[in-house]
Amino acid sequence: MKILVAVKQVAALDEDFEIRADGLDVDEDFLLFDLNEWDDYSLEEAMKIKEASNGDVEVVVVSIGPERVDESLRKCLAKGADRALRVWDDAIEGSDSSVMARLLAAVVRKEAPDMVFAGVQSSDHAFAATGIGLAGELGWPHAAVVNALDYAPGARQATLKRELEGGVSQSVTLQCPAVLTIQLGINTPRYASLRGIKQANAKPIDVLGLDDLGVPATTVGVDASLSRVRRMYIPPKGRAQMIEGSPDQQAARLVEIIREFKGA
Amino acid sequence: MDATAQTTRILFEQFSPWAINLFYAFGYAAIACFLYGCYVQVRKYRRGQPDASWGQLAARFGDMARTMLTHRTLKRRDHAAGAAHAMIFFSFIALFVGTATITLEVDILKPLFGITFWKGGFYLLFSLVLDLAGLGLIGGLLYMMYRRKWMALPKLDYTRPDRQPGDPDYDRSAYRREDWAFLWTLILIGITGYVLEASRLVWLSGDAGVWDSRFWSPVGALLAHSLMGLGLDASGAGTLRGGLWWFHGLLALSFIALIPFTKVKHIFTASASLMFRDPLAGRRLPKVPETQEAAGYEAITDLTWKNLLHLDACTKCGRCHEACPARTVGTPLSPRDVILSLREFANHALSASSLPDKAELSIHGKGPGQVFMETLWSCRTCLACVEICPVAVEHVPIIVQMRRKLVEEGEMEPILQKTLQTIHKTGNSFGESKRKRGAWTKGLPFPVKDARKEPVETLWFVGDYAAFDPRNQKVTQAFARLLHTAGEDFGLLLDGELNAGNDVRRVGEEGLYEHLASSNIATLEGCEFKRIVTTDPHSFNTIRNEYPEFADPALRGLFQIEHYSTVLLKLIQSGRLTLKKRLSHRVTFHDPCHLGRFNKGYDAPRELLALIGCTLVEMPRNRDNSFCCGAGGGRIWIPDPVGMEKPAQNRMKEAAGLPDIDVFVVACPKDLTMFEDALKTTPGCEGRFVVRELIELIAECVEAADPAPAAPAEAPALA
Repeated sequence: MKILVAVKQVAALDEDFEIRADGLDVDEDFLLFDLNEWDDYSLEEAMKIKEASNGDVEVVVVSIGPERVDESLRKCLAKGADRALRVWDDAIEGSDSSVMARLLAAVVRKEAPDMVFAGVQSSDHAFAATGIGLAGELGWPHAAVVNALDYAPGARQATLKRELEGGVSQSVTLQCPAVLTIQLGINTPRYASLRGIKQANAKPIDVLGLDDLGVPATTVGVDASLSRVRRMYIPPKGRAQMIEGSPDQQAARLVEIIREFKGA
Repeated sequence: MDATAQTTRILFEQFSPWAINLFYAFGYAAIACFLYGCYVQVRKYRRGQPDASWGQLAARFGDMARTMLTHRTLKRRDHAAGAAHAMIFFSFIALFVGTATITLEVDILKPLFGITFWKGGFYLLFSLVLDLAGLGLIGGLLYMMYRRKWMALPKLDYTRPDRQPGDPDYDRSAYRREDWAFLWTLILIGITGYVLEASRLVWLSGDAGVWDSRFWSPVGALLAHSLMGLGLDASGAGTLRGGLWWFHGLLALSFIALIPFTKVKHIFTASASLMFRDPLAGRRLPKVPETQEAAGYEAITDLTWKNLLHLDACTKCGRCHEACPARTVGTPLSPRDVILSLREFANHALSASSLPDKAELSIHGKGPGQVFMETLWSCRTCLACVEICPVAVEHVPIIVQMRRKLVEEGEMEPILQKTLQTIHKTGNSFGESKRKRGAWTKGLPFPVKDARKEPVETLWFVGDYAAFDPRNQKVTQAFARLLHTAGEDFGLLLDGELNAGNDVRRVGEEGLYEHLASSNIATLEGCEFKRIVTTDPHSFNTIRNEYPEFADPALRGLFQIEHYSTVLLKLIQSGRLTLKKRLSHRVTFHDPCHLGRFNKGYDAPRELLALIGCTLVEMPRNRDNSFCCGAGGGRIWIPDPVGMEKPAQNRMKEAAGLPDIDVFVVACPKDLTMFEDALKTTPGCEGRFVVRELIELIAECVEAADPAPAAPAEAPALA
């Protein structure tokens, strides 16, 4: 019995960042990398299933990215994942989520897990597409935005709740294997101590290239993607302004602004 | 006179041989029982982990002997109890040595070599000394009884703040019974000793050899006269003496037999605990050996033999219970109870001939003898307990070791987890960008050197609170101006500096501490400087006491660090800083734990206050008894429970109780944050005084306008 958890190392902006010279992304010098917040929850969900079982569940984490991603994978290993896989080839640079889904599908075919978890979305690009795209590639049942899960390892079915807009919940039963995208708050992720992360150095991270997955280089990268970034920029400042002066002056100015806005 | 020279006491006078044999049988049985008990205790300690405290035994022994002979630690904060203990202690030693002397003659020297010395002048002096020792013993014990029964000291109340009434180990009445049994046994041995002596004198009053020298045992003689006055004759005294002899003898032998099984064992365990005291306990926390897989204490067998010995040394004197800030404000922690719980656990689990299953050895949990997670997280690692313990119990290292286990398991407040992750990610607890660490220097009218790029005399390790907290930044800038004015050649590590790790380590996140410490050490090793200076006592402590263990042995000299108080004192005393104004405030001073108790930096801040003209009014808890602001041990990152008094508020009330204080002076960035907040939230304190950093007061004096009207306002900067 195996659960595959697809994770991503996301970028957060440092103070006073700069856009890269080609105008397509933020200069990497100004990025702080960390594991995507949603992935903490999907990994925890897999770990809960593993720990509730009698020990025959293997949790494998997979990520696509360059060597720096190993740090995030180690964090997953420290939390108890059995193995980690990292997929990379320079040709992958610039791929969109459709290509990521294709690559992950190749990993799933190779690993043959009984269940695949991914986060609902990544906190940096927020497409919320990779997990569901992967299900599409595989033609597997899928459920997005899962916030409760009842699944016994190896069962043919899983029952879960999905969080819909407007505070509505949907209860769903689906056939396994399946792809679930996990929502924040489904559980309480555990803490990975730094010693744990260090000790995870001893656990293997297998690096897979395109050949290992049988994916031709022509099917990855910007050219094989369904979308591409045209420009990344900081939008012009909004119209918020600070009203100075005494409370009387501030009130008068506020009335003025409201009139202007109404076009009176 | 020949008769006097032969004066002695006939042992077993008029005892039949079988009675003497019976007594020896009891004696051997008592010794066997004692030895077996010692064996069980030692076996218990040997079930702990190794500890490297065996070095310098002679020095350690000397230190222990000095502490015991002066009773220095026992007299602290309870002089009367210390004095009474000294009476019991020295009397007991005299009586023990006396008894051993008789054994030496009767059982060893006389049968083997025919030597006798227990006679004549020596015997008479011996009688006098032991007679007076008995008085000391009984006097000391009477005070101890009075203290327990009538003084109603809160520190002698054994009920626990972390258990509820009805819990099996809540009131610990067994300890109270043991205390009383101990006092009564000893005092009965003393009293029966005197009555025995008196009845012997009456019984042998016809024997001039005995009777004429009776006043060499003054107490016994007076008692003999009283008994005679009450109508006791020689034959009645003989009968009394016979019965009492056995009672006294068997009581004393039982006492010896029971030493290893009762609190009496503190005679040995407390001495040994003092001998193996670690002068850096809590100041330098134990490293996790590289080869060791799991960090921290999970099972009772994870404790070292030294830890187990410390547990047995505790005499429940309650000094730590009284000093603990967490206990004072009502959190579920008393350092005494952590020690006693673990001791009960160890006695239960490690005294049997074989070890129980691993599962039954866990010291974490809710069962009897286990320590609650809430208890461990309540600790502020302020070292008040370790510092005051008269027998050198080291509570804080054990608590941190247990926390290490909780951290490994993720058993902590979610907000603390977040903070630790933030520190790992950004290198500071504020979650700010590394680049912003030097942002406070922008407010300075002069550039500050980057110590990584050019050599400096003084490398200033700023620390998180001083660098990122807006209120503290003003103090930090003031210190920079003072250094600049004094012409000090100083520089910073800027974004190369990470959180020093002192509090991360005290939280129990040892892996993160190792990461922070080794990164900072690598950065420091790449810089050229003469000394390190900091305004942050927490960084001061870990760099001074803990970094050397993580550095290349050849570079350990690198960590010469000074707190700003000694730096400023020298700058003023040498004339490099001129005080242009004196302040006439009435102030009180709060000793930061990490500067005072941890590193004995009590005097420099006080001298500075005197130099700038402030009148210092001490709070009742000052210097080594300073009361933690509540921020230590990572508690600054965990909100205190709502509705409960915070330690800082308790401190504000203490300061408000002083007559007419203008300023509450602090010398630590975290103190400034904690106390400014507490001043606003403590009813009746706001407006009574203000909280200021010592640096601010000094800057006010140094940067005051020159008295001469034409002089510029700002002193010209020295190159």
